[in-house]
Amino acid sequence: MTERYVGRNVYKVDAQDKVMGKAKYPDDIYFDNMLYLKIKRATHPHAHLRRIDISKAVKLPGVVKIITADDIPQVKNFGLIIKDQPVLVGIGQKMRYMGDALAIVIAETKEIASKAVRLIEVEVEELEVISDPLRAMEKDAPLIHKDGNILATHYLEKGDIKKGFAEANVIVENEYRTTFLDQVPLQVEAGVGIYDEESGFIKLWVASQWLHDTQADVAQSLGFPKEKIRIIQPVIGGAFGKKEDISVHIHLALAAIATKRPVKLTYTREESMIAQSKRHPFIIRVKTGATKEGYLTAWQAEVIGDTGAYASSGPAVVHKGMYHCTGPYNVDNVKGVAYTVYTNNTYAGAMRGFGTTQMAFAYESQMDILAHKLGIDPAQFRLQNAYNIGSSTPNGQILTHSVGVKETIKKAAEIAGWKGGLR
Amino acid sequence: MKKQGRGIATIMFGFGYGEGFPDHAIASAEIEEGGKILIRTAAADVGQGVLTIITQIAAEVLKVKPEAIRIIPGDTHLTKNSGSSSATRQTFFTGNAVKEASEGLLSNIYHYASIEFRSNHVELGIKDGYIFRNDNPKNKLSYWELAERVKERGDSLKAEASFFPRTDIPDPKTGQGKKVYVAYTFVTQVIEVEVDTDTGIVEVLNVYTAADIGKAINPKNVEGQIEGGTVQGIGMALMEEQVIKEGITLNPDLTSYLIPTSMDTPHFATLLVENEDSEGPFGAKGIGEPATIATTPAIANAIYDAIGVRIYHLPITPEKILKALKEENKRGNKEGF
Repeated sequence: MTERYVGRNVYKVDAQDKVMGKAKYPDDIYFDNMLYLKIKRATHPHAHLRRIDISKAVKLPGVVKIITADDIPQVKNFGLIIKDQPVLVGIGQKMRYMGDALAIVIAETKEIASKAVRLIEVEVEELEVISDPLRAMEKDAPLIHKDGNILATHYLEKGDIKKGFAEANVIVENEYRTTFLDQVPLQVEAGVGIYDEESGFIKLWVASQWLHDTQADVAQSLGFPKEKIRIIQPVIGGAFGKKEDISVHIHLALAAIATKRPVKLTYTREESMIAQSKRHPFIIRVKTGATKEGYLTAWQAEVIGDTGAYASSGPAVVHKGMYHCTGPYNVDNVKGVAYTVYTNNTYAGAMRGFGTTQMAFAYESQMDILAHKLGIDPAQFRLQNAYNIGSSTPNGQILTHSVGVKETIKKAAEIAGWKGGLR
Repeated sequence: MKKQGRGIATIMFGFGYGEGFPDHAIASAEIEEGGKILIRTAAADVGQGVLTIITQIAAEVLKVKPEAIRIIPGDTHLTKNSGSSSATRQTFFTGNAVKEASEGLLSNIYHYASIEFRSNHVELGIKDGYIFRNDNPKNKLSYWELAERVKERGDSLKAEASFFPRTDIPDPKTGQGKKVYVAYTFVTQVIEVEVDTDTGIVEVLNVYTAADIGKAINPKNVEGQIEGGTVQGIGMALMEEQVIKEGITLNPDLTSYLIPTSMDTPHFATLLVENEDSEGPFGAKGIGEPATIATTPAIANAIYDAIGVRIYHLPITPEKILKALKEENKRGNKEGF
């Protein structure tokens, strides 16, 4: 059957509005009588907040209100998987990274709000800053959250790893490291909020990768029924994982409730990079065994993922990386452990590939190193180990359909003019 | 001296949330006044093109031009949950939900038209938003006229559907499970680079990609994803790093945190492997994340091929290359470990 529209290069339905400048991104939304927010952020990556003095800031002409944790005792923590992130850090509580919010400044203009932020005085009691996940895992390391610095541990075990390495003629063992990355969407975190006193509705215009999940998190944090939080999706200027987490949402809602006026908050790029999620840096220790004929026999991986100050997607990201540790290759014997570790760095969350991007750097380097050691063409080495229908993944999932991996190796080699004599 | 090299990388990506998470998407299709068919979904278009994909699927199933499809802008109060635009899942999940909702609407169009035309279903034909008896195609009803008649009967022409595939929670001790992810996308890239051994600067010259995506709903869009993902991968491989020392970010701006520009963009050749054998709509699988994953290792392997040194810590900056070359010269020519 020939399709008329599926499989065809139909023009993108949103292209014209974007090209013509008609598309409304969050920062393009204006209301009359609108106020602007700026956030006072942590002054130290790991410290108890002892005093916050807003007296000078609040006197600045044009400042309408400043909200601190004292004003919102009913508001709860938020977070995608674990609710470990405070909306505002209160007196006696801890700031855990430089993006933690201490106060919401509401003013007639952005400039006044920025100026007022600088007039807020903060006193802290500094704690040891843990920037290295290996330090965080040590027994004597101070706890960033009360339940320990290792947020999650996941395991992988298939076959018999000892037997697998015993069968190997060549074993390659290496440590790979990746770094913090920013998703760098063109559009930084931004939004507009309105509170309707009569109906008790909060309306938010904030770009979000998952409207209904964000709605639920905002609602539970504010103690509102879910249906009273309405989120309207503006045009989104890129996300790559960075717009999964709460950013401006709850601060906008609180400011709208407090002032009964429309409010807007747009991060600076600097603020976006410091306060909002990152790609997890991974430490990957990997050991791979193969026979002299070039067939994989054993694969062992240990992963340490730095999830920074808050969980975000971390408990899902790090082990998803481990679950992909062998790449698309048949290996009967697999063993792995993945640690998701808190530090005082900017929190890490979702970014394109969700842990498997970091892992691919390790497994595809290992495959290359092995191919060279064995004297087998790297494309051929991949091809002879690649999955078929019936192959089993590191999770022991049997692939029953849609396994075109060998064809991708052959076709990529073909269009690249790869000279290796693929069989 | 400038040295060229070539590297290969093959990757897999298990898409959807998987792992037993109740991952699903809900969508609906209805005939609305003004000559449009309204699709309701909360799927976020972050630039990846899901709204275009949904439009194509609905137009295909309902046999109307894409212009006749209107997708309601995302709104928690006008749409139901479609899950996140992440995990490479929207084409597969919301695509399936929209396909099924469109099929539901089409079935209802047949149902009510067969009443209007006093015919059975096989005697009916459909073309460009009109339904008619095959023995008298001139006597036709548009979907919108039919919707009016249905309304007079006290009913409406619409359908809602969802896609909710089962996955298994992996065993916590072993990570083993029967169906941990709904399916896997596979990508192979061959990348050619040129390394300047005096400056350590790497230029990515050519990128050859073959991607097993089941079926491309919109081939140009898939190529766009692959090119964008590859450029993001070039950033990860060669230049990007948010430097956080003692909790403080030292480069929180785009003058000191470098990302690739159009000047860093290589030449692309892309081939799509389409076996149409996935459970996605028309056999499609997702490409969003897999598009970026092979790039970094393919570049690392190409650099090794060019200069015989391997860098284990990303990003592979000129400084690291020069340092590694220096150490390599001291040691003699062996693989770097």
